[in-house]
Parts: sequence; C-alpha cells; structure tokens
Amino acid sequence: MRSTMTLLRREFGAYFLSPIGYVALAIFLAVTGYLFSRTLVQLTATGPLGIEYPMRQMLGLGDLTEIEGVIQFLLFWMVFLIIPPLLTMRLIAEEQSSGTLEVLLTAPLRDWQIVLSKFLACFGFYVVLWLPTLFYLPVLLDLDWKTWQVGIDPWPVAASYLGVLSAGAMFLALGLFISSLVRSQIVAALITLFLSLIFVVGGVWRADLDSGSLLGKVLSYITVPLHFERNFSRGIVDTRQIVFYLSATLLWLFLTVRSLESRRWR
Amino acid sequence: MIHVDKLTKYYGDYAAVRDVSFDVPAGKIVGFLGPNGAGKSTTMRVLTGYLTATSGKATIAGLDVFWDSVEVRRRIGYMAENCPLYKEMRVNEYLKFRAGLKGVYGRLRRQRIDFVLERCWLNDVRRQLIGTLSKGYRQRVGLADALLASPPVLILDEPTSGLDPTQIRSSRELIRELGQEHTILLSTHILSEVEMTCDSAIIINRGRVVAADSLENLARRAGEKESLIAVFDHAIDPDLVLDLPGCDRVISEQVAVGTRLRFPSPDVQTLAPRLATLAGEKGWGLRELRPERPTLEDLFVEITEQE
Repeated sequence: MRSTMTLLRREFGAYFLSPIGYVALAIFLAVTGYLFSRTLVQLTATGPLGIEYPMRQMLGLGDLTEIEGVIQFLLFWMVFLIIPPLLTMRLIAEEQSSGTLEVLLTAPLRDWQIVLSKFLACFGFYVVLWLPTLFYLPVLLDLDWKTWQVGIDPWPVAASYLGVLSAGAMFLALGLFISSLVRSQIVAALITLFLSLIFVVGGVWRADLDSGSLLGKVLSYITVPLHFERNFSRGIVDTRQIVFYLSATLLWLFLTVRSLESRRWR
Repeated sequence: MIHVDKLTKYYGDYAAVRDVSFDVPAGKIVGFLGPNGAGKSTTMRVLTGYLTATSGKATIAGLDVFWDSVEVRRRIGYMAENCPLYKEMRVNEYLKFRAGLKGVYGRLRRQRIDFVLERCWLNDVRRQLIGTLSKGYRQRVGLADALLASPPVLILDEPTSGLDPTQIRSSRELIRELGQEHTILLSTHILSEVEMTCDSAIIINRGRVVAADSLENLARRAGEKESLIAVFDHAIDPDLVLDLPGCDRVISEQVAVGTRLRFPSPDVQTLAPRLATLAGEKGWGLRELRPERPTLEDLFVEITEQE
C-alpha cells in the first residue's frame, strides 16, 4: 500500500512540475471566474431578473434562450470536456514514449496499483482545480457570516459538486485508458476528447430528437449536461446517474489494467 | 541464482529469442554477449517481468518470473537499456521515489540513498534535475536505482553504452566491486567489457545461445585453433616449406617487408625449429616467427558470423 502512495505522490506532484497542470488550472479558473461574475450580476439584479438556482448558472445552465446563456453553456462544457484529456494524456502515453514505463513496470508493484495511483493522482488534481470555486460558495449560498445560516437552498450546490466529481472521475478514467493505448500524448488527448464528446453532446446535439425513443433514452442516460440540467443543479441526486458514472469509471480502470497487462504479452 | 530453461519469445511471427537456456550461479558476474538485435534485451525483459515469454521457464532465486513476478522483481535491481528516467525530477527526489516503490522507507531509505549516492559518485549532483545530467551521470542514476533495495540479483542492460572511455573504466570497476555482493547479469555487445568484468559469458546470436562457458574455457576454445606466422625478408619457395614435417597447409602473402607465411593448425613444436633451420640454410632472412592464438574476439566474430 505504501508503494501505491509513493507512486500517487509522484504522479500528483508531477502536475506541478509540468506546465500542463498550470495551463489547466488557469483555463478553468478563468472560465469559472467569468461564470461567477455573471452569476453575481444576476444575483444582485433587481426587478423581474435574477435567478433561483445560482449554481445552475455556474454550470452554464442559465437561461438558454438568451445568446449569453448559450455562450456560457458552451464555455463551461467545453472546458469541462477539455480538462480531463489535458490531465490524463501524459499519464501513461508519456511514460511509453520516453521508455520510463519499463522502469515502472519492473518495480515490485502490481498493475492495478499503478493504474489506481495514476487515477487517484489525476483525480486529486481535478479536485484541486475545483477547490478555488469553494470561495464562491458564500455568495452562491447567500451565507450570513454572523449566524452561518444560508439564504439559498444548499442542496443544489452539494448535489452539483457530487455530480461534477463523479462525472469527472468517469472522464478521467476514460482518458487514462486511452493514454494506456497510445504512445503519443496528443493522440491520447484527441481520442479522449472525441470519446468524451459523446457523453457531453450525445443527448443535446439535436433538439428534435424524440426523447421517448430507444435512442433518445440511451442518449439521455449517458449525456452528462442533461443530468446536471435535470437533476444535480436542482438538488436531486439520481442514483441511476451516479451508478452510471461509477460503473463507467470502474470499467475504464479495469480496461486500463488489462491494457497495461497486455503490454507484457506483445 | 538465475535459471533459464528453453525460453522463447515471439514478437508476432518474429522469434526474438528461441529456446534459450542458461544458468547464472550465485555470486558470479555473467556477461550476456551478442551483436545488436541478438535477443539480449528481450531475455532480460522476460527475466524482469516486463515481458512474458511465449514459452519456456525462468526462475530467479527459485521463484518463477511469471507466477511470482512481483516477488521476483523485489529481488532484482534492473537497469533498462538507455536508462530511461523522469527528466523533471531531481536525483535525490527520484531515488527517494524509487526507494518508496521498492518498499524501502524511513531511516533505511535515507541510509540506502546516501549509500548509493556515494557508491555511484552522485553526491555532487544530488540536487540536480535529471534532465540536465550528462549521459554518464544518468547511467549512474540508473545504476544507483538498481542498487537501492540491495537486491541479490542485478540485471544491467548495456550499462556502459554511450559512456566515454574514463567513465567506462570506472563503471567496470564499480561493477566488479558490486560483483562481490550481488549476482550480476550484464549485457553488452563489447567483448572487451566481458573480458574485463565477467567471470563467464553467454554468447547469444539471433535469439539462440551459441556458447556459454567461463571466460577461461572460452579463451581456451578460441586458442585451440592456433596458427604459426613466419615473416621473411625475401621471396621464398613455398613448395620447400610444404615438404617440412608437421606442415600440411600454408598460406603465403606478400607484405611490405617481404613474405608472410601463415600455417593454420600446425604442429608448432616440430615445425617452428625446422622452419628456422630451413630459412637459415636458404638465406631467406627470417624476421619473425611466432605462434598466433585467436582471441576471444576472433571466436566471437567467428561464432556470430557462422549462423
């Protein structure tokens, strides 16, 4: 177990030694900062304007009938799509191209320990990305500093964070799997991006899709923004979605272990 | 210590290693010798668990490299070919990380890191980024890593490739010293390296073991094909020479100083004095008369070219 921790610590630390981590952090902060400033405008607006669930706007799910709402949607979900491949592309592909994978795989560790530490490291950095957004919470919750009472229902916020973390885990695990298949980081990132796209635009790319049809059902089952729009951002935790994210995460991780193992047979 | 039995490894249809069997006794330094692409790295990768053999069996310290891979890896210090390292880490950071992976922690970890830094002459670069180190230093970092957990077996894949002559010399000395505590299997395509550092050699070519013996035996085997060289000032009559007892074949060639005769597989004891007498009688001006023993290198070239 301690060797797994050692590897986890190195992989996590590596994000701070390469520019990739800082680039991801900067992009992410810029976009969430922009969304926060727009949310702030809505929250302080008078008259018929304003919003009921500020967390919805933070996730780009504000008023989609306005052009600004659409821009916010695109911005947030594009970044949400791009961040996981940025974090996972180097994990195994880089080690393969530089040859250090040989040194790692001949250390006395089991394959699943290597996969687990790499996954937890990128998940850890993903959590680090979201940490600064905790500073927005007092505003999003309308926190009263004296009594510590919240003025806005806190559950949409809690459910959104749960959703963001579990959906993120799924995308990261997918990225890790792709990274184990190829040697080039760029190729790993692009394939991950393309596959993640299915889970982001699957159910929203055509407005006229019959949501009652089999295809419509399948797509809405796997489309992450829909889950946020319908459930998480309203404070609903639907176990179907959580189960989907976690089982997909486990599936990708399992496939990563197998892919690493198959390397020894080639 | 290392026991390999009929190991075969196919990459697709291509057999990189075919029916390789050898033994490395405990406490010995064994050189794994062969031209590039002979299957040295593949065999070592199978031993270290990086690759799985297509068929055959290998054990290290009695443990099967396939079934007890992790336990085997605990007992091995492996230095991969070209010594890949994490360039963005510092030397001591990297060693600390590797020690952690190998299950060396706490006080012991600090002791071992200090020891290997000292042993591999890395003390003056311990804080340096690995990416900024020269090739020689990187090789030493790789070697230091292999030594970290003080494993009983060291497997070194071309430990001296890409080093300059002084570095090669000091690395060889280091390997010799390490051989007192560890069983070492090292690969190389440089023969003199094996002659200088190893107790015995396994010569491999095109995926097959072509010779495996102690260095003395190999040298003796090479030396069996002795020939006699004679150099004369003047042109000579080879027919007269052929009539001498103990001579069945002679190769004559013109050299700058006169004529050189080579007698392959002669009876040196009888032929040499008679040849000298004959040369004196005829006034050929004998300049040189010496037996020539093929070196290990000749044997190596001969063996690897035969196939």
